[in-house]
Amino acid sequence: MLLENIRAMREIKKGEAMRRRIQKLIKKKTKDLNSKTLDQKQKKSIISSLEESIKHLNETLGNSDDFVVRKISVGKEEDINIGIFYIEGLVDTERVSDFIIEPLMFDFQEDESIHSKQDLLTVIKDSTIAVGDIQDVSDYESLVSSLASGYVIILVDGFTKGFTIGLTNENYRNVTEPSQETVVRGPKEGFTETLRTNTALIRRKINSPNLRIETRKIGEVTQTQVSIMFIKGIVNEKVLEEVRARLSKINIDGLLESNYIEELIQDKTFSPFPTIYNTERPDVVSACLLEGRVAILVNGTPFVLVVPSLFIQFFQAAEDHYQRWDFSTFIRFLRIACFFITLLAPSLFIAITTYHQEMIPTPLLISLAAQREGVPFPAFVEALLMEITFEILREGGIRMPKAVGQAISIVGTLVIGTAAVEAGFISAAMVIIVAITAIASFVIPAHNMSISIRLIRFLFMGLAASFGLFGITAAFIGLILHLCSIRSFGIPYMSPFGPFNVPDQKDSLFRLPLWRLSTRPRLVNQQNINREQSPSPKPPSKK
Amino acid sequence: MTKKIIIFMIISILFLFITGCWNRRELNELAISVGEGIDKEEDLYKVSTQIVIPGQIESKTAGPSFGAPVELFTATEDTVFEGVREITRESPRKLYHSHLRVLVIGEALAREGISDVLDFVSRDHEFRTDFYIVIAKDTSAENVLSILTSIEKIPANNMISSLETSEEVWAPTTAVTLDELIKMLVTEGKNPVLTGIMIQGDPSIGGTTQNLEKIPPSTHLRYSEMAVFKKDKLVGWLDRDQSKGYNFIMDNINNTVTDVSCPKEGKFNFEIIQSKTNMEAKMEKNTPKVDIIIQSEGNVGEVKCNIDLSKQKTIEELEKRIEDNISNTVKETIKAVQEDFSVDIFGFGDAMHRSDTKAWNKLKEDWNETHFADLDVQVQADIKIRRLGKIGNSIIPEIKE
Repeated sequence: MLLENIRAMREIKKGEAMRRRIQKLIKKKTKDLNSKTLDQKQKKSIISSLEESIKHLNETLGNSDDFVVRKISVGKEEDINIGIFYIEGLVDTERVSDFIIEPLMFDFQEDESIHSKQDLLTVIKDSTIAVGDIQDVSDYESLVSSLASGYVIILVDGFTKGFTIGLTNENYRNVTEPSQETVVRGPKEGFTETLRTNTALIRRKINSPNLRIETRKIGEVTQTQVSIMFIKGIVNEKVLEEVRARLSKINIDGLLESNYIEELIQDKTFSPFPTIYNTERPDVVSACLLEGRVAILVNGTPFVLVVPSLFIQFFQAAEDHYQRWDFSTFIRFLRIACFFITLLAPSLFIAITTYHQEMIPTPLLISLAAQREGVPFPAFVEALLMEITFEILREGGIRMPKAVGQAISIVGTLVIGTAAVEAGFISAAMVIIVAITAIASFVIPAHNMSISIRLIRFLFMGLAASFGLFGITAAFIGLILHLCSIRSFGIPYMSPFGPFNVPDQKDSLFRLPLWRLSTRPRLVNQQNINREQSPSPKPPSKK
Repeated sequence: MTKKIIIFMIISILFLFITGCWNRRELNELAISVGEGIDKEEDLYKVSTQIVIPGQIESKTAGPSFGAPVELFTATEDTVFEGVREITRESPRKLYHSHLRVLVIGEALAREGISDVLDFVSRDHEFRTDFYIVIAKDTSAENVLSILTSIEKIPANNMISSLETSEEVWAPTTAVTLDELIKMLVTEGKNPVLTGIMIQGDPSIGGTTQNLEKIPPSTHLRYSEMAVFKKDKLVGWLDRDQSKGYNFIMDNINNTVTDVSCPKEGKFNFEIIQSKTNMEAKMEKNTPKVDIIIQSEGNVGEVKCNIDLSKQKTIEELEKRIEDNISNTVKETIKAVQEDFSVDIFGFGDAMHRSDTKAWNKLKEDWNETHFADLDVQVQADIKIRRLGKIGNSIIPEIKE
């Protein structure tokens, strides 16, 4: 009896599952159908009647307030009706009247060359409108998308063809010094929010015809322009193909910043380490392009993505190549040291003071012990408190208005530096450790790398508090294994260290003199490996 | 896959909690023991330990702080280990021995044998092997550890600094660490020597901060001469010159001063700045023989007689006199040890063992008593005077005229 019941129940369940599956399928089909009809509707070719077209466009755009329709009648008998459409704000209205409306109204009036109706469009296009960027349009879909991206549309009554004219309003933020990556010596320009400006900034640096730009629109709703930039002949074709393939897989409704792309196309999702480099500096992008990398520019953000990017790249700054090589090498070593300090300083302090006191020299131990007298928390809690306080201050400092930022830093210094120690909550040594960790984390030039290190630091601290140096060692081995397993667009993340590549050492941890940097990075660049053949500078020989 | 990762992460997070941090000790839970003393009272061991009070040492205000910088705990038990644990009945924190600087052994215990004590300190994981071992001469280790000192606030630090400095520049002491002591004990044909430490003044005042209030402290610690051991038992003491002679033979001289008589009357001092001793043992006509060659370089330190240092002949004469002086000191040291103790503290037997194992196997049975006591030791010194100091000839003769 019971068995039968169970069996019956199971069958009912099975049936239900089937029903659900079928429902899902049906839903999917109807959805497909819906989208198909939508496509057909938009692919509709332009209706010859101007009035009908205006009506259609108004319907498509839902009588938007910023959609401007200007109807003019020109010709000797004023029998040619022309419609001018644009979105207010996206278009430079002054130039619309100067270069489109004025020629149409006045020059066109006297024109004798129009013999047939067919000539009309050619005349308008070729000899009336004084704008460089003018293209034919014959269907509503591309018409509407051009309209939305800031083009002026001209439709002539009686024709199933119109023009899109590029008169975008370039009244955007100027090119200014980047706020993130400042340099003492080097170009002081940074990308802006306009894609065209950004590509131009790169073009100005690389005047080669081989610099290629491929633009596509990503984002079902936002229709954001995304450009891939590379130098033909230098770029790693495999990586380029991969970038194209990954970009075409993106299906998202909105694309507001390059991080959307970064997260959607990166190799490893469960990793705190960034595998895509981003920068605000045109010179950095140019240098990467010259090494054979691919840049991805997104309209609306000054942050440009560069792929493939290696671990060591996040420790290199633009300035490394703008100052003497010996100093640059020193700075690079300093950055690596800071990487270890940021990652390990608090955890080593916790491990050594709670498990391995024998490692501390006696006078230092007594000094540390004296500071800890009366501190109520274990070293781990103490460190955690301080680190979290610091993170709060840091985050608070970023989000606060600039005027309040000062106040935050004063309160922070007083709270962390003095009061906490004097009140006996925190030992002075811990403040020093947290401070050096914080400062070291800002030495790393790439912000996204320093964030990820800061995050892993907490894991290390926890392990140090539970297992001492064994925990740190185990976590560090794990970290290295993880780093070696990551790839960025097929290139091993830890190269040129793992796999070790001797020629590439010249510009990774070391920065050799420029005349020694004769080849491009081998793993990034698969073709055209030679970069220069400059001899080393020699003084004129005595005669 | 994702499920596996999640399970792995949960397990690893749980690990953090189940370990319970079993041997975690915060810095303010440690009783940092810097000096430890062991005495024998009848059949029991008396363990005294000097604990640092960090707050007293790192006081932020300048000047002398009130209150002693260290605290002494003692316990008397059957074994050293029990004694160390018994101390927790007095001390609020468990003893931490990794920073032990000095182990003081009472003379009474040393005369009975120190090997029982050494087992615990070399076995326990907290003890390192780099602390010094000294013998409390004519007093107990407990008393030695209860004398306050002022330059180094921690008395144990004062003890090791003084030991190291005197060994380095004057050479009447020898700083022996635990591993060196054990090595000396287990080596055939060698017996250990440790430095003794004495209390000068009244020990009862030495333990109070009163001791720090006067310019000449009423009570202070002072290194005495070296203690001679026959294996692990103390048998007697060397005097200061013999201690230096011992260091000469052991090639343990870095820098010292010797006192040599001038050709006519008066004395002069020679400062050794570099010294190297070679010891060679061999069998000659079935009797063991040891050659000691001392090569030293140094400066003229102090001249109290009328000699013309600008002449090469004088320098050669002086070098000869220093050579005689040093080889005499060394010879006398050996002779005294042979006669008084009959214990091979110099490692002649070890040298013999290394150079002629077959002969050593026959000799080792009664090495100390017979062969060492009659051992023929040739001492040869080779001295070079390198510098005369800031002035040339002494000003003393000119004042007299």
